[in-house]
Amino acid sequence: MPLRYSAEMADAGFPGTPKAQFLGAVRQALGRVSDAAQIPYGSAVGDPVELERQAAEARQRIASRQRELLEQFAATAALRSWKVFRAPALEDALGYVTSLAVALSASKVVRSNQEVFAELAVDAALQHRGVQVIPVAQSAGRDRAQLREEMASTAMGITGADYAVAETGSVVVLPRRGLSRLVSVVPPVHVALVRPQEVVASLDDVFLLRRLEYYRRGGDMGSYLNFITGPSRTADIEQTLVVGVHGPKEVHLVLLG
Amino acid sequence: MAEVKTREFNRASSLSIQDPQLRRALQKVGTGFDAARRENIVEVTPEVWEQWRERARQIKLHTLDRLDYYLDLLEQRVSQAGGQVHFAKDAAEAKAIVSAIVQRNQVRMAVKSKSMVSEELGLNRVLESLGVEVYETDLGEYIIQLAGETPSHLVAPALHKTKEQVSQLFAQKLGVPPTSDIEAMARVAREVLRQKFLQADLGISGANFLVAETGTLVIITNEGNGRLCTSAPRIHIGITGMEKVIPSLQDLAVFLRLLPRSATGQRLTSYVSMVSGPRRSEDEDGPEQFHLVLVDNGRSRLLKDPDLREALCCIRCGACLNICPVYQKVGGHAYGWVYPGPIGAVVTPALTGLKDAKDLPRASSLCGACREACPVKINLPRMLLHLRQQLVESRDPQQRAEDGGEKLLAQGYAAMMGRPDLLGLARGIGRVLQAPWEKQGKLEKVPAPPLSLWTRSRDLPSLAPRTFHDIWEKELSRAPEVQR
Repeated sequence: MPLRYSAEMADAGFPGTPKAQFLGAVRQALGRVSDAAQIPYGSAVGDPVELERQAAEARQRIASRQRELLEQFAATAALRSWKVFRAPALEDALGYVTSLAVALSASKVVRSNQEVFAELAVDAALQHRGVQVIPVAQSAGRDRAQLREEMASTAMGITGADYAVAETGSVVVLPRRGLSRLVSVVPPVHVALVRPQEVVASLDDVFLLRRLEYYRRGGDMGSYLNFITGPSRTADIEQTLVVGVHGPKEVHLVLLG
Repeated sequence: MAEVKTREFNRASSLSIQDPQLRRALQKVGTGFDAARRENIVEVTPEVWEQWRERARQIKLHTLDRLDYYLDLLEQRVSQAGGQVHFAKDAAEAKAIVSAIVQRNQVRMAVKSKSMVSEELGLNRVLESLGVEVYETDLGEYIIQLAGETPSHLVAPALHKTKEQVSQLFAQKLGVPPTSDIEAMARVAREVLRQKFLQADLGISGANFLVAETGTLVIITNEGNGRLCTSAPRIHIGITGMEKVIPSLQDLAVFLRLLPRSATGQRLTSYVSMVSGPRRSEDEDGPEQFHLVLVDNGRSRLLKDPDLREALCCIRCGACLNICPVYQKVGGHAYGWVYPGPIGAVVTPALTGLKDAKDLPRASSLCGACREACPVKINLPRMLLHLRQQLVESRDPQQRAEDGGEKLLAQGYAAMMGRPDLLGLARGIGRVLQAPWEKQGKLEKVPAPPLSLWTRSRDLPSLAPRTFHDIWEKELSRAPEVQR
């Protein structure tokens, strides 16, 4: 449940124009007198039944092209400066992640809590090589400030993915218990583990599926949705590309299957 | 509001043209982002590009025509997600709202992701007056904050600075050794700002889009500072113009395809961050409060004028700046306010008053390149002409006096062109008078007005020894192919 404002707080009388008055001024500028809410616009408020139908179609289309989309995703991601590693077997993925941590001489890495880690025993493999793994979880009894400080001093953040977008080479990360927003942005290296079933064809697919999910969850989008497409960059000085500003300089994509 | 210096356009643009550092910084404008933008159009094919533009434009026009409805929906959905929406009719209200949030929460430090509306309002000064330490965290914004300047470009605020100038600035303000390595400069910003992200109470961002249906704020960034500003501090304020709303999530895809390609020539930026309300109780982190401040500040004037309404379709990509021959020469600061280039020449007069900004609509050759480059097909040249027309028809006495002279001149010219004998006489006198300054068919540096006004910056073709009329009469009309 969202942390809702109490009626008291909402009525605490912030400065500004009351909504009705503000919208009235907009309506006046538009030269209309009618009440705005009466204007019908079907597609701004989605019909869950129709969305279900479209989503089922999309999932079928994606499933039938999964291999092809996986190839496209890997190729596009590489063009967007992800370091792509294809892992046919789980051991390959574990080997890649551990050797990466060793190459970085990382003593600590932080990882989020996603389904993929149930399949892939990253913690054990890393600890075996002497790398401490900090899982993000409130139950671990740490407060936010502590977690944050720890995160700032780790060399690598590992996450799963909710979607991998073939069109753009992006990994989409959604909030859930055990997933800090900061794991994929604070440490200088980010590793994303992607399973074949997470690949979708396009941005349209992501937005269709999330839109449906919004209605399924009774009108909740979740607090955030992040598309990550390659490393952090800037061209703010002389339009010259520099990789690695506030986010990670190095991003790795481990594609399972 | 940010200081308006539009009256000084003529003087400021002359100074800009003479500034060698600025000349060098501006050299890349037409070749960097814009070349990459054009490569993208070839890649997706011009046909597909055109379909995207048309779809995006239709979504924007649809939304603007029903703006009250979508703002209403947006407010409901943001509230449903646990956020709070504030409406500000002008800059003063917007600043009062932010001040109230700051004071009620005893905010001491704020980190900011790039926001043009924040620049428009002059928000940093307000925060500082409340004793809040403010850090701009976008590299370009950080540079201009250190320099005490305003942005000169919509997406690359420090575009007017060379790397040598940035290096000097960092050395002077941050005490780091000078360097010519741009990567090292970016590293300095990372190191300085890293702690601020983790310490700040408040994160302020703009919005590239607002999705009404789901109450979602969308920001499109490359550096990662936007993600940090909206994730690490305990309060997030999104502040933006009311025109940024679009109907549904599914309308967003086309804008994500168009905006990065038009802005920096990227297929997609490193990050697209979509925020819907504050953290939920099951989230590990994220802000506890989410405030969305929707600002009018003159936008309803644009909305009201059917000739200017489409300016509100703008997605602030900067493509019209990069391609504009005037912007390429004078840079962003000459335009005298926050929004430069062709879109600035339309928006600034509407938001700050046409009277003081009358040189902006005139700072265009009406070549139409901006319209071609615009990802939402805004007809900028038409609007610039419309503003010029408003100026001519205005009742301002000073304006009428200026126009009176021009009118007289045009009438004289019309009279002369209608009378061949008069034209011939004027030409004869002209031939004699021009002789001292004529060089190979051109007049250079005529010492006295009115011609000197032209020849001080460029040559003028001289009156030719023979008129076309004469050549036609004696030779061309008798040539065999004409007779046939």
